[in-house]
Amino acid sequence: CLGINITLFSPSFCYCHYRRDRNTVFLDSRSRTLKALFIKYIVSPFTSLPIREETTTKHFNSSLETPNISLTVSPFTSLPIREETTTKHFNSSLETPNISLTVSPFTNLPIREETTTKHFNPSLETLNISLTVRSSVPVEKNITLERPSNIELTCQFITSGNVNSVNVTWKKGNKQLENIHTNATGSILYTQYMFIITDSKQMGSYSCFLEEEKEQRGTFNFKVPEVQGKNKPLITYVGDSVVLICKCQHCSSLNWTWYSNNGSAQVPIDVQMNDKYEIKGTNANETRLKITHLSEDNKGSYWCRAAFPLGESEQRVELVVLSYLVPLKPFLGIAAEVVIVVAVILLYETHTQKKKKLTDDGKEFEQIEQL
Amino acid sequence: MAHRAEPPDGGWGWMVVLSAFFQSALVFGVLRSFGVFFVELVAAFEEQAARVSWIASIGIAVQQFGSPVGSALSTKYGPRPVVMAGGILAASGMLLASLATTLTHLYLSIGLLSGSGWALTFTPTLACLSRYFSRRRSLATGLALTGVGLSSFAFAPLFQWLVSLYAWRGALLLVSALSLHLVACGALLRPLSLMEDPVVGGPGAQLTSLLHHGPFLRYTVALTLINTGYFIPYVHLIAHLQDLDWDPLSAAFLVSVVAISDLVGRVASGWLGDAVPGPVARLLMLWTTLTGVSLALLPVAHTPTALMALAVAYGFTSGALTPVAFSVLPELVGTGRIYCGLGLVQMVESIGGLLGAPLSGYLRDVTGNYTASFVVAGSFLLAGSGILMTLPHFCSLASTSKPQDRIREAVETKVSLSKEEPEED
Repeated sequence: CLGINITLFSPSFCYCHYRRDRNTVFLDSRSRTLKALFIKYIVSPFTSLPIREETTTKHFNSSLETPNISLTVSPFTSLPIREETTTKHFNSSLETPNISLTVSPFTNLPIREETTTKHFNPSLETLNISLTVRSSVPVEKNITLERPSNIELTCQFITSGNVNSVNVTWKKGNKQLENIHTNATGSILYTQYMFIITDSKQMGSYSCFLEEEKEQRGTFNFKVPEVQGKNKPLITYVGDSVVLICKCQHCSSLNWTWYSNNGSAQVPIDVQMNDKYEIKGTNANETRLKITHLSEDNKGSYWCRAAFPLGESEQRVELVVLSYLVPLKPFLGIAAEVVIVVAVILLYETHTQKKKKLTDDGKEFEQIEQL
Repeated sequence: MAHRAEPPDGGWGWMVVLSAFFQSALVFGVLRSFGVFFVELVAAFEEQAARVSWIASIGIAVQQFGSPVGSALSTKYGPRPVVMAGGILAASGMLLASLATTLTHLYLSIGLLSGSGWALTFTPTLACLSRYFSRRRSLATGLALTGVGLSSFAFAPLFQWLVSLYAWRGALLLVSALSLHLVACGALLRPLSLMEDPVVGGPGAQLTSLLHHGPFLRYTVALTLINTGYFIPYVHLIAHLQDLDWDPLSAAFLVSVVAISDLVGRVASGWLGDAVPGPVARLLMLWTTLTGVSLALLPVAHTPTALMALAVAYGFTSGALTPVAFSVLPELVGTGRIYCGLGLVQMVESIGGLLGAPLSGYLRDVTGNYTASFVVAGSFLLAGSGILMTLPHFCSLASTSKPQDRIREAVETKVSLSKEEPEED
């Protein structure tokens, strides 16, 4: 008897077969506990027939332990000679094990065990986001996210009260999501979807749907943070230096890169090439590109791009380079106007003084005449 | 030229009012709207805000400390050549500023050069105005000083527009062209000779006689205290509103409303100063007290309506006290000594102006909000108005002094001074 499958209490004479199912771990779905039956057989040394059966049942709380039990059977006597139990301890805030046992319909022996464990990485932060949907008006929430996080999305629906006729689904785009938890208290239905966002493919829109007479919907939109540049063009003069600034509020970017516009294509700016360009970052929230010794061909659009673990975002800054002659022309015009006004005032004054002098002389003349 | 017995009180005097109007616009309007350049310069030179704000501070300081120089020169040569020279200096300062490559260039060009240009323009013009008017002096001064308020309205958006077209360099160049109009304003200042001019003598003699004049000294102290408190809200009102979480548009609107009430206050007070009999110093005390009270109450207001009412009150009263402040001086020292008198007053009160804003900023940094600085500003104003009560003829109903009284007083002062000189044999 070399087989691993051992049958117990076989009516046949081959008593070396023991039914393994009695030494099996099985999941009691009603109490949500794992049970392991251990059956020990004391065999008579003379007749080799079992004379005593001892049964021990171990209960395991599934939220804490999942035991792996292996029985090592002696190849000669086919009796279990060693029992090894390894227990995996799960911290329920970190892992939620899903253990499914597929049992063969014929032998009632488990034929496949699947354990899928969803790991919540404790080094990531957890975001709890919730929405309340009251009527058939869809509700949206925008969330900016820059690094991988554990996400817990909760939708709160107000139903008509008939809990059985509702159907709650979660979707990302067209793909239906699983592993959702739903519970209801009174006429308020809570549905929750937990997942981890690790890269840019998982960004996007996640929606919860409540199918009743009218469909109610809530949407969570995940986006990388936006970069702010300057809306108005920066005006500089030939020979000056300028600093182009891009800022990102409430975020700490990993990498900033600058591009200049060459026709219609974006050309990355190489800082090592010459002294003209210098990229300074005072802190992770902003980046500064300093361009010295400006000339007229430096004008145009510049792009700053921020690379996050979960995607990229960019912004445009426009630069205009003027020559000094541009404001000089209005200056000379105004200066000429001032010269004319001053001349007019002084000429008017000498004119009136001459008139006054003539009349005074006339008066003196009259007085002298009278004398 | 014949010396007149009485100031003309009209005629060419109104052209002088016009000239003073444009000059106060071009000097103080530019200084007040300098905040537009401030933002651009901080970004362009990558300097701290404090270092850039020194540009305007140096300009104001040079303008005020240099006032006696302007006064002395205009006593000797008349206001016209002095103001025209001042206009050229101010414009060339701005022109050089547009070519600046470091912050030091700006300190020297705008601060020193334009500042000295402004010193040669503003004080001589106001003194000239006081000589042209006697009965309608306050009204004329009030009308002339509305130039400050109106220009703050016009210049801030204008400068902003110039900066958006030409950046700060081009905008400074065009402000220089604007400042050239000071030369044209100077050309309008026709010389006027009054009867007491030969009596009071040259600038040196005038300065000495002024320094021995008790009421003049008390008035200078009062104005210094007033000056300390006066400028603070202009610098800190917007920041205070930001602290209270006002949005920028409403804050700018409130500042405009304050500017309008400032204008109205100037003209109203000017008219009132001439209409009410008795020393103008009493009106100055009234307006100063009211300004101090409204400033001290400003931090208490939290609702938008209360804040707006107090801001309007502050604007009106602070505008009202300016023309009256200038009108008190000729009554104290006479129109003969007005140039030197005004110059001295401006120089001393500038100490108050220089101390006021940094003191308020320091209080803000220490306490975390603007309550202390507003209250301190208000108390400075109230202290100044208290000293004003000690001026002569404060309680009497006598009207402003007649020319014969002024000449007599001038002669007496000169005689008493020469008696005090040690006898040298």
